[in-house]
Amino acid sequence: MALLEVKNLTVEFGSEDKPFRAVDSVSYSVDRGEVLGIVGESGSGKSVSSLAVMGLIDFPGRVSADSLTFDGQDLLTMPAKRRREITGKDIAMIFQDPMSALNPCFTVEAQIMEALKVHEGGNKKQRRERTLELLNQVGIPDPKSRMTAYPHQLSGGMSQRIVIAMAIACKPRLLIADEPTTALDVTIQAQIIDLLLKLQEDSDMGLILITHDLALVSEAANRIQVMYAGQLFESGPADSIFAAPRHPYTQALLEALPERSEGHDRLRTIPGVVPGQYDRPAGCLLAPRCRYANESCVKARPEVSDFNGRDVRCFYPLNDQGQPTGMATGETV
Amino acid sequence: MSFLDAKPGVPLLESDDLVRHYEVNRGLGKPNATVKALDGVSFSLEAQKTLAVVGESGCGKSTLGRQLTLIEKPTSGALKLNGTEVGHLSDKEAKQFRRTVQMIFQNPYGSLNPRKKVGQILAEPVLLNMDNLGRKEREERVRATMAKVGLRPEFYQRYPHMFSGGQRQRIAIARALILEPKVIVADEPVSALDVSVQAQVLNLMMDLQEEMNVAYVFISHDLSVVRHIADDVMVMYLGRVAEKGPTDEIFAKPLHPYTRALLASAPKIDPTQRVKAEPLTGELPSPINPPSGCAFHKRCPFATEECAKVRPELRNFEGREVACHRVEEIA
Repeated sequence: MALLEVKNLTVEFGSEDKPFRAVDSVSYSVDRGEVLGIVGESGSGKSVSSLAVMGLIDFPGRVSADSLTFDGQDLLTMPAKRRREITGKDIAMIFQDPMSALNPCFTVEAQIMEALKVHEGGNKKQRRERTLELLNQVGIPDPKSRMTAYPHQLSGGMSQRIVIAMAIACKPRLLIADEPTTALDVTIQAQIIDLLLKLQEDSDMGLILITHDLALVSEAANRIQVMYAGQLFESGPADSIFAAPRHPYTQALLEALPERSEGHDRLRTIPGVVPGQYDRPAGCLLAPRCRYANESCVKARPEVSDFNGRDVRCFYPLNDQGQPTGMATGETV
Repeated sequence: MSFLDAKPGVPLLESDDLVRHYEVNRGLGKPNATVKALDGVSFSLEAQKTLAVVGESGCGKSTLGRQLTLIEKPTSGALKLNGTEVGHLSDKEAKQFRRTVQMIFQNPYGSLNPRKKVGQILAEPVLLNMDNLGRKEREERVRATMAKVGLRPEFYQRYPHMFSGGQRQRIAIARALILEPKVIVADEPVSALDVSVQAQVLNLMMDLQEEMNVAYVFISHDLSVVRHIADDVMVMYLGRVAEKGPTDEIFAKPLHPYTRALLASAPKIDPTQRVKAEPLTGELPSPINPPSGCAFHKRCPFATEECAKVRPELRNFEGREVACHRVEEIA
């Protein structure tokens, strides 16, 4: 059984009769010792879906799912008290901006010890010892003196290490990292990702890595899912999904990357922008921006289906040559 | 004013040993500390070329941008436009200079006045700098520039909050272009944008360069973007230049250990291009109290005793400029 199993997770905001679906029936699962990468542009629902797993979507947001189970227990139907015991302990999360994730009024020590106090108990001395151990584990130089430091005295990379220490304080079985390195420099990013992967390997943890950086997930994750405007567009193993994209969106994203272009040629762009709350198309959400879209794409919304072992939400998934399949020739609009 | 005319054989924009120090108050009774944000940077930029400035945050690349546009005056060193020193211009002359050197800022959510319409935002530089134009001509000019950067005419009456990040950055680009400058200093122009929109803005910048013959100083931390758009690259570390040279050569064979580390730590999609290098340990040291000798020696895998004592100067090596004592050995 998978560690976390999400089936048709939907998150809606706004009025009941005209809801805005920030996340639209997304399904995935994460196993022990597995790294799942979720990529997408801003507004694709990648953060909201993980906040829903953590139970951090407040009113007026509405979370519904066919099933949302962690280690066989249904997170949606369990009592709130039981869920609070699980989140923060067995499922932990790292947020994007380490500078704002830490409370500026408390020392590093106080903030890590708070998590330990809530979930692990023990006396103050034990908690302090464990905190020191954690700071060592996340590679903070001179941890003893850093214990009493305030967040403003730390650099971005150092703050992110503290946030990670806080997240792994209760030995979580699943760690959700939401853009953990976006606010950091490349050299520090490499350090933090190495640290996360090492912690994940050492404790056989499941890790969900959410990012907009395609190159980063392709290096770090075992499996990748690509999201767009709240929907899952494609998912598959990391080594093949970018080598042979099956969804036109994945293909277009890769072509828009500067490293894929030769010399000073113009980049191949995706025209338009990600649809917002009011301009979502009736058919496939990508249809107005997709170079292969035809009439049926504009009319109906494709469902996720299996194509060569990959989950793809497209009527005409791409073949190895990057050409759409199942389409009569000359049919594109 | 002589700096406005191009002279053959003279680079468009040139800096020589440009220095910018900031005084920092450390509290009562303590002497002020000096932050050497920019500590002797020299480069030259030819017309219609793109020079990229890369480095981690805190390396002085944005400070450099502020000196080049005379938003701040450099502490010492020379800044030349068309061969004429411009670092100590009078306010009136500086106004002329700024018409020629414009800037695009990093965050299009912060750089546009939310209380002004797009038309007003774009008309302001014209109003201030070309007072011979009438109202009609001004509006025409604004509309023409909007068309150039791909903004639809009906956007003229809209406010910045009605636009997405990519379109806001187009507005910012239009504002920089409207006075037909020769140099645009772009400080991380695409780092706040998504991949697909980033490609649109990069293409636009490259198109405009051909069309309007502008030169870019492109400040960025994203190496793949730099590789795509720049002719020359200048890698900075703690206020000084670590390596400088043509883009293709630097990416093919980085010489300075810091450039190598930067390139190695950027993640790559293509598994064949991945280099398994030891990640750089430690962080950028504080510019208030920089390490002795080479600023990079504490993080450098090749550092020797000499590196800790003597600061390496920028010198020529294989047609590039590198500031490293051991470049011959590690090349």
